[in-house]
Amino acid sequence: MTDLLTLLVQQSVNGVYLGCLYVMVALGLTLIYGVLNQINFAHADFVTVGAFAALFTATRFGTKVLGLPDTGAYLLSMVAALGAGALLGLAINAAVFAPLRERGDELRPLIATIGVSVLLENFQLWLLGPIPYQFDSPFSLETIRIGRIFFTAQSVLVVVAAALAIVALYAFMKFTFLGKALRAVAQDRETAGLMGINPNLLIALTIVIASALAGVGGALLGPVLVLTPFAGATVIVKAFAIVIIGGFGNMQGTIIAGLLVGVIEAFTVQYLGSGLIDLVVFVLLLVMLVVRPTGLIAERKEENV
Amino acid sequence: MKRIIWSFALAAACAIAPLSAGAQERVIRIGVVMPISGPASYFGVMGREGIDLALEQFKAGVNGYRLQVQYEDSACSPLQATNTVKRLLDQFKPHIVIGEECSDASLAIAPILEQAKVVQLNAGSVTMKLTESGYKYVFRIFPNAEQQSLPLAKVAYEKLKARTAVILHEKTNAGNDNAEGFEKPFVAMGGKVLAKIDFGRDVNDFTAIATRIASLGKVDVLPTFALEGQTVRLSQALAQARIVKGGGGNAVQMGSIWLPYGYDQKAGQASEGYVRIVQFDPTENRKVVQDFIKAFRVKYGADKVPTHINAHAYDAILLIVEAVRRGATDTESIRDRFTKLKDVEVTTGKITFDAKGQNSDLSVVHFVETQKDLSWKGLNWQ
Repeated sequence: MTDLLTLLVQQSVNGVYLGCLYVMVALGLTLIYGVLNQINFAHADFVTVGAFAALFTATRFGTKVLGLPDTGAYLLSMVAALGAGALLGLAINAAVFAPLRERGDELRPLIATIGVSVLLENFQLWLLGPIPYQFDSPFSLETIRIGRIFFTAQSVLVVVAAALAIVALYAFMKFTFLGKALRAVAQDRETAGLMGINPNLLIALTIVIASALAGVGGALLGPVLVLTPFAGATVIVKAFAIVIIGGFGNMQGTIIAGLLVGVIEAFTVQYLGSGLIDLVVFVLLLVMLVVRPTGLIAERKEENV
Repeated sequence: MKRIIWSFALAAACAIAPLSAGAQERVIRIGVVMPISGPASYFGVMGREGIDLALEQFKAGVNGYRLQVQYEDSACSPLQATNTVKRLLDQFKPHIVIGEECSDASLAIAPILEQAKVVQLNAGSVTMKLTESGYKYVFRIFPNAEQQSLPLAKVAYEKLKARTAVILHEKTNAGNDNAEGFEKPFVAMGGKVLAKIDFGRDVNDFTAIATRIASLGKVDVLPTFALEGQTVRLSQALAQARIVKGGGGNAVQMGSIWLPYGYDQKAGQASEGYVRIVQFDPTENRKVVQDFIKAFRVKYGADKVPTHINAHAYDAILLIVEAVRRGATDTESIRDRFTKLKDVEVTTGKITFDAKGQNSDLSVVHFVETQKDLSWKGLNWQ
C-alpha cells in the first residue's frame, strides 16, 4: 500500500470509530425528538452517568468484588451503564417529565431538561468531585495492527456495540408490537391513544431506551473522555449537530451523519488542522440548514423513528 | 433597681465587646479566584488544598493580622472570572487576589484588578501578556511561557540532538504562547518545526492527530502544552501510533510545568521517555519542600503526594505572609513589599519579582525523564 493510501485508510478507520461514538450519543437524542418532539438537554449528563457507572463497575465491583478479569469487568460495566442509564431515565421521566407533560405545556418539559442537566452535573460534582477520573478500558491498551494500519481493540468494540445497538433498535421499531406502537405515538399521540395505545407508557419507554443508549455510550466514551461530571458536555454539541445534519428525529439520517462527521473530523485533522474541526462541522451544519433543512434523509415524520 | 441597671449595662458591655474587637480586628483579605468546576477544576481543588494547609499553619495570624480567605469559582472562563472578581471587589473588598490558573481567565481579570488597584498574585498562568502588558498590580510566581519553553527548546536541540519537532498545544493563550516560545528559539538554533497542531479543550480522541504526525516523516521531539487529561490521551494515542518511546517509536514527547505529579501513572507505559521541565519536585531535598510534603500528608493522607499546583498555591500564601511580616497592611503596602522581595525561599524555589512582576528566579527548575517503571529520573539539565 502506498503511503497516501495507507494514510487515507487509517484516517477513515479513525473517522468511523469516532463516528460510531457520536452515533451512540446521538441516537438517543434523535429517538426522543422523533417521539416527543422535544430536545433533551440533559442527554449529555446521562452519558456522563453511564461513564461513571461503568468506571465504578469495572474498577471496583467487577474486579474487586466479583474478581473478574479486566476485560470481563469492562464488558460487565457496559451492562451496568445501560442499566444505570435506563433507571435514571425511568426515574427522571416519572419525577419530572411526565408530570409536566400532563399539564400539556410543551415549553416546561424543555426547560426542565436544562434543570435536570444542571441538577445531575452538580450532584455528580458533589458526589465525585471535579478532579478528572482515569478510566482505562483493557481494550484501549490492546493495539491491533494490520500492515501499517492500526486501531485499538476498544475501537472494534465501539463499532460492534454501535452496530448492535442500531440493529437492535431497528428490529425493535420495525418488528415488535411496542416498536410499532411507538411509531404510532410519534405519528399522532392522540389518535394512538384512541386505538388503545398508552402514549405515556410508550413515551416513558422511549426515554428509557434513549437513556440506556446514552449510558452505554458513556461506557464506551469513558476511556476516551477526560472523565469529570461535565464530560458529556464535550460531545453533546457535536451530537446535536449530527442530529440536525441527519434530520431531526430521523435514525437513519443520524447514523449516516454521525459517521460522516467522524470521517470529516479525521480528514480535517489531517489536511486542515485539528483547530478547525468545529469550524468545518458547523459550516456543514449551516450549509445543511440552508440547502436541506430537513436533514440528509427527509422522510415523513411517522417513518423517522 | 440600681443593681438591675448595672447588670444590664454589664451584659450589654459583654455583648458589645466581641463586636468592638471584631471591628478593630486586623485582617488581610485574600480573594481566591480559581476553577472549581469544568475540565480544569483540578487546578482549583489542588490550589485550595495548598492554601488551606498554609492557612492552618498561620491561623494564629501574622504580625497581628489574621488571613481571611474567600474562594470563588471562575471555571477557567474569562467571563465567569470577570464576574467573580467584580463581585469579590464589591462585596469582599480583598487586599489581594490569588488567581486565576488559566491564562485566558487571568488576562480577563488583570485589568479589573489593576483599575481597582488590588494586587493580583498569579500562581498558575503562563501567558506572556500577563506580565508584559504594563500592569502595576500583577505579580506572578509561575514561570511564564518563555521561561518554560526556552529551556525546552534548548534541551531539545542541544541535549536530545533534536532537529525536527511537532508542537502540540491547546488553542488558548497559554498554549499559543508556549508553542511560540518553543518554536522561535528552536528554529533559530537550526531546528525545523514540521507542524504546529492546536486543538480545543473539547477534543477527546487524538488518534487522528497521531496518524497525521506519523505521516509527517521523522519527528525527533513533540513538545506538548495541554491540560493533564488531554495530555494523557495524547500520549496514549502517540504510543499506539508507535511515534513515541512509550509505544516503541523514537520521538521524545516533552512537556512543561503544567502537568501535575501523577501524569505518568495515568498515562501508563505511554509516558515512558517523556521529558519534562519541573519546578516543584517532591524528591527535592530542600527543607521547605520536605516540611511541606510532611504537613501535606498529615492533613490530606499519608499516600498523597502534593503536586506543583498544591505547592504554588501554598507558596502564594507564604509570600503574602512574608509581605505582612515585612509590614504590609493593605493592598498598596503588599504591592510595595512584593516589589522588594528578594530570594524568598518557598517550595517552588526562590522568589524575586522583576520590574514587570514576574518571578525571575528559576534556580530550582530542572528536567526529569519518565522511566519504564514510571518513576522520574532527574536529568542534570537546566
